[in-house]
Amino acid sequence: MDELCSVVSLEWRTSKVFELTVERNGVEFTPGDSFAIFAGDGNESRPYSVASGTDEPTLRFLIQQLPDGIVSNYLSELRPGDKIRLSEPFGWFHPGKNTSDEPLVFIATGTGIAPFLSYLRAYPDKGPVVCLYGVRYFEDALDLDFLKSSCDVRLVISREDGHIYHKGRVTDLLPSLDLLAGTHFYLCGLDAMIDDVSAWLEGTGGIDFSHIHREVFFHAPS
Amino acid sequence: MLHLDREDWVKTSDGDSRGYIQPQRLDELWFHTGTNCNLRCPFCLEGSKPGDNRISFLTLEDVRPFITEALELGVKNFSFTGGEPFVNPDMVRILDLALTHRSCMVLSNATEPLMNRINEVLPLINKPNDLSFRVSLDFPNPEKHDEGRGKGNFRRSLNTLGRLHSFGFHVSIARLIANGEDVEAVNREYVPFFESAGLPADLRIVAFPDFFPPDSLPEIPQITENCMTSYLNAEQRDEMMCNFSKMIVKKNDRAGVYACTLVDDDHDYDLADTLKESMEVRVMLKHHRCYSCFAYGASCSEVS
Repeated sequence: MDELCSVVSLEWRTSKVFELTVERNGVEFTPGDSFAIFAGDGNESRPYSVASGTDEPTLRFLIQQLPDGIVSNYLSELRPGDKIRLSEPFGWFHPGKNTSDEPLVFIATGTGIAPFLSYLRAYPDKGPVVCLYGVRYFEDALDLDFLKSSCDVRLVISREDGHIYHKGRVTDLLPSLDLLAGTHFYLCGLDAMIDDVSAWLEGTGGIDFSHIHREVFFHAPS
Repeated sequence: MLHLDREDWVKTSDGDSRGYIQPQRLDELWFHTGTNCNLRCPFCLEGSKPGDNRISFLTLEDVRPFITEALELGVKNFSFTGGEPFVNPDMVRILDLALTHRSCMVLSNATEPLMNRINEVLPLINKPNDLSFRVSLDFPNPEKHDEGRGKGNFRRSLNTLGRLHSFGFHVSIARLIANGEDVEAVNREYVPFFESAGLPADLRIVAFPDFFPPDSLPEIPQITENCMTSYLNAEQRDEMMCNFSKMIVKKNDRAGVYACTLVDDDHDYDLADTLKESMEVRVMLKHHRCYSCFAYGASCSEVS
């Protein structure tokens, strides 16, 4: 059954991305799960991956405001105390689910970092994890200090010079990965990045596709 | 069902007795998994789009009693359509249950939702019954296909088809028929694409006429009782989907039994709460899509 949850806070993290924190109401979830969040009383909803850890008292979501986004624009105007409707958690993209101690590689772009933040917050002692994280501008890198303290994060910036980080695309860093036997790769973000990374891993990298786990944002043509 | 005696249900606008099918059997049961879809195709006969919950996600618990009842009625096959079925969180669990009893077919766009869950889907090859996928490749032209379905989606669907085929699943494609086209010539244009994805050149292609978006009211001839015997023989009447098929649709937290896959935008075709009750109801050929079945023998089924 859907839950009515109170908004705890809404914080803009970049010029286009805000973090929405809502009451948890005892809901159990697994890192990587999504919740459908509804715009008001209507039928429109969008799935958002939870970014918070499983021990936290609230649910946190990283939401990109889209120019014509019915749901993201509605959510961006919420105030503390407002009620929103959430589905039960659901999903099949669960970082680390199929492994015990095998190495993990996380590859994300933009707000696709959310399920990995949830995993790292839920399992601070598990590892090792390498995380390739692609953003357009440095300010788009979410929770970078936390990521640095939690895993081997390798930031890639596509549209800005002047930083110590690699300028380009996450695919540029794929040859630098140690493709150790048993490694599972978890990919979350835009379809083009995930198609490119999957093709490289399966082709050049020789990785069996059962070790490649995808969570693609659904961007519908208008 | 209050509408069953209503004048416009049983009579055409000209006052003639409306043509109908009295269902004979239940060979096939369809489940509408929900109108939520990752794509927003302008020609979608369901009008599905992202976040669209006009028809809700069916859950495993919604489906379970209908599977039990359908088995009692001798069903041969379960089929699933949306929206995009793999957007539905319960889809793989539903298939796991259904495949325990009968073969299943899923209509999918084979893009991100299915690609994301491919590792969940592949173990279904070990179920006791066959799972097949029918994937939409609207035109044998990637650019034209992507105009409606989004950039890169022809290639994604084709790659997913190839992967499913390589693992032993049955696959086929669905496409649109253009007015006056040479069906066989258009089908041949798909062959190089099939071969590039490791698919057989003679892959089954199911071509459909334009069914128009939901709530459309195109002007079509009305089907009278007399038409059913003047233009169709007994075998043709027998092959109409509503004679041997039903679809489960969930709206407003209630799962109901609809007459077929093409009429869920018309509440009059919500026939009953149970399959047994629905089998007693005459299906009046009132919907504009009924004419496509009547005139062209269109059928979503792969059973008949």
